[in-house]
Amino acid sequence: MSATGMSALERAIVDPQPVAGIEARSPVDGLNRRSVGFLDVLAQSVSAVAPSAAATTMPLLVAMVAGGATVWALLAAMLLALLVATTVNQFTRRIAATGSLYTFVAHGLGTTASFVTGVALLVGYGFVAMFALGGAGYYLAIVASRFWPALAGTVLVPVLLIVLMAAGCLYLLVRGIRVSTRATLLVECASVVIILGLVVALLVMQGPSLDWSVLNLAGAEPADFAVGAAIALTAFVGFESSATLGVEARRPYATIPRAVTWTVIGSGLLYLLAAFSQLVGFASVGGSITGSSSPVNDLSAAYGVDALGLLLDGGIAASFLACAIASITALVRVLFSMGREGLVTSAFGRSHPRHRTPYFAILVTVPVLTAALIGTILLAGGVWPAMQILIVGAAGGYITAYILTCVAAPVFLWRIGELTLWPLVRAAAATVLLSAVLVVYIGVEATSTRSAGVWVFLAVLAAGTAYAAVRHRRRPWLRNVVGIYDVPVTGDVLGTMGLEDRAAP
Amino acid sequence: MTAEAGDLRARQPKAIHSALTVLEEVARCGAGVTARQVSDNLGLPRATAYRLLNLLVQDEYLVRMPDLRGFALGRKVVELAQLVAPARPPEAVRTVLTDLRARIRGGVHLVRYDREGPRIIDPDPDFPPTGASGGAPLRTSAMGRLLLAERTLPDGRHTGDPAYTDPLTATAAAEAGAELRSLGFARQFDAFSAGSGCLAVPIRDRDGTLVAGLCLAAPTARIEQPGDHLLLLQQAALTLAPLLA
Repeated sequence: MSATGMSALERAIVDPQPVAGIEARSPVDGLNRRSVGFLDVLAQSVSAVAPSAAATTMPLLVAMVAGGATVWALLAAMLLALLVATTVNQFTRRIAATGSLYTFVAHGLGTTASFVTGVALLVGYGFVAMFALGGAGYYLAIVASRFWPALAGTVLVPVLLIVLMAAGCLYLLVRGIRVSTRATLLVECASVVIILGLVVALLVMQGPSLDWSVLNLAGAEPADFAVGAAIALTAFVGFESSATLGVEARRPYATIPRAVTWTVIGSGLLYLLAAFSQLVGFASVGGSITGSSSPVNDLSAAYGVDALGLLLDGGIAASFLACAIASITALVRVLFSMGREGLVTSAFGRSHPRHRTPYFAILVTVPVLTAALIGTILLAGGVWPAMQILIVGAAGGYITAYILTCVAAPVFLWRIGELTLWPLVRAAAATVLLSAVLVVYIGVEATSTRSAGVWVFLAVLAAGTAYAAVRHRRRPWLRNVVGIYDVPVTGDVLGTMGLEDRAAP
Repeated sequence: MTAEAGDLRARQPKAIHSALTVLEEVARCGAGVTARQVSDNLGLPRATAYRLLNLLVQDEYLVRMPDLRGFALGRKVVELAQLVAPARPPEAVRTVLTDLRARIRGGVHLVRYDREGPRIIDPDPDFPPTGASGGAPLRTSAMGRLLLAERTLPDGRHTGDPAYTDPLTATAAAEAGAELRSLGFARQFDAFSAGSGCLAVPIRDRDGTLVAGLCLAAPTARIEQPGDHLLLLQQAALTLAPLLA
């Protein structure tokens, strides 16, 4: 130790030097700052992914294109999602915001790219919210028709259920971030436990004679594998949504990156297990997964545990409902950020004085999404076809936003003087692979029965970006305000205690 | 959280040392220092420095300034103050000191030695220590010279860090080493105020390691001829050893 006796750190603690440029309030003040812990943050990301709903449907969708390479395509998608997650985390470790990717891109690529990202992200969250709300209504209607067969076949039942659930979401979301994350955590845990129970039961019934040939790659075409991986990636989208809790999370720079990474790993493992068990299950009863419309239900029936099907439908409905709540939670926080900046009307930036939630954005968003969902259901002629269209649009929105974020990450790191080799390599790899996935996905879906989803996505993206551009032209100062984030306030920084009185509003 | 405890175990004390070095550097440079400056100043590899900085931001010991480039100390470092600020010694120790102060004319201070050097943990309330704490070089104070002597081998080599290679310090260390071996204590005259001096009696644990010291600040004459006072101090040092080691 040097002979000075007292370290600079000790001196700073004993006699803090004033730090200039720290205000008493953050620009995103008004939300319940630093109020939710790691579990709530994790619940937000996990619920937005809705792993249990995806684990029951995704193996079938991937198997239809990838055939024998299903498990491998899922694994490839998981690795790509991890690559994207670590790149997104370059931002979440450094910026705590409510605008998530929209805010992040503003700090790498500037206003215009940020607008495109913002619109793509709103499409992603909004369409998934509608998809999930529709899915919850669809599966609850199936459960209801098991008890009252007369209710089957009419579109009125799911629509009524959707309206009721939307009202419930509205209440929970306004009531407070803690209330809504706790509700989704509970619901999501229950549905993951149900699906895991089923998967394990299936594997146990197989006994020791597991049919490992389902992992055999022979006969799989590389193109099919690529398409399969692209579709499988859509099962992961939403993992970044906890980044919208940057203001409300405690220790956001630690909890959010952790939640983002573990959501990808956890749901990826669940998908791999579910896909494997379903493929093995079908192989041993002599059927094929692709010949089934609801693989897990058919498997339960084939193994004589029909009652499990009921539990499963309830679990999927619950998972969808949690997904709807989480997606709207993220959506309104992006809008809140845009409202504070003036990109959309400033009312969206209002927060509830007592519950400290962006209540105006919630009050507008939930009815609009519900009405749009019901409109889509009526136009598409049913809940299931409407969901198919919505999920395609959502996937397009998410992947577009991810690509822009991966381009922005190295630029941002370079701007703040913290660019190193590996983050650059990871971001570049993720950008190339994601772009390929987007092209493949759009190409495949544009020729499918769900092509409407592609066109709706492109139209909304174009319209939203045009709106932002016009707004930007009328308000040139937006250039300087877009990208607001939570900054340290006087309570966080050593040496600002004495300035508090002066800086208080 | 269990994950944090896991991290701590996995990365081992070296990482903790590096983290404290980074904190120290931010404190030294002041608010607004950038990641690149910290990395350059400490000679740490970029990726390592950035990771440490981000970990410290995660744990809120540091905050990122609103410009996203600079760093400042977070309010949470005050929690570290409990580690760096001297803790009040136990009551048994204070009783011994009170008793000693009643029988000795002069300032009696208790000093503790740790990795950071000497630190007065119980100053005499009637005769507050003058300049020996804080910024004074080790070679000027009796408590500092005791530490230097302790780290000096009979042949003049030292076991301390490169700070001891400074010629003034090296001379003082050799001198203090000789004094300690012949007298059993270290001393200084006129370092902080003319006509007065100080002596420091070592307090050692069972292995003989220097853990603390009892200092007497008094007029030069009494330091030269401590007489009965030295006996009292040495007895108290023996009593205090098991309480402080």
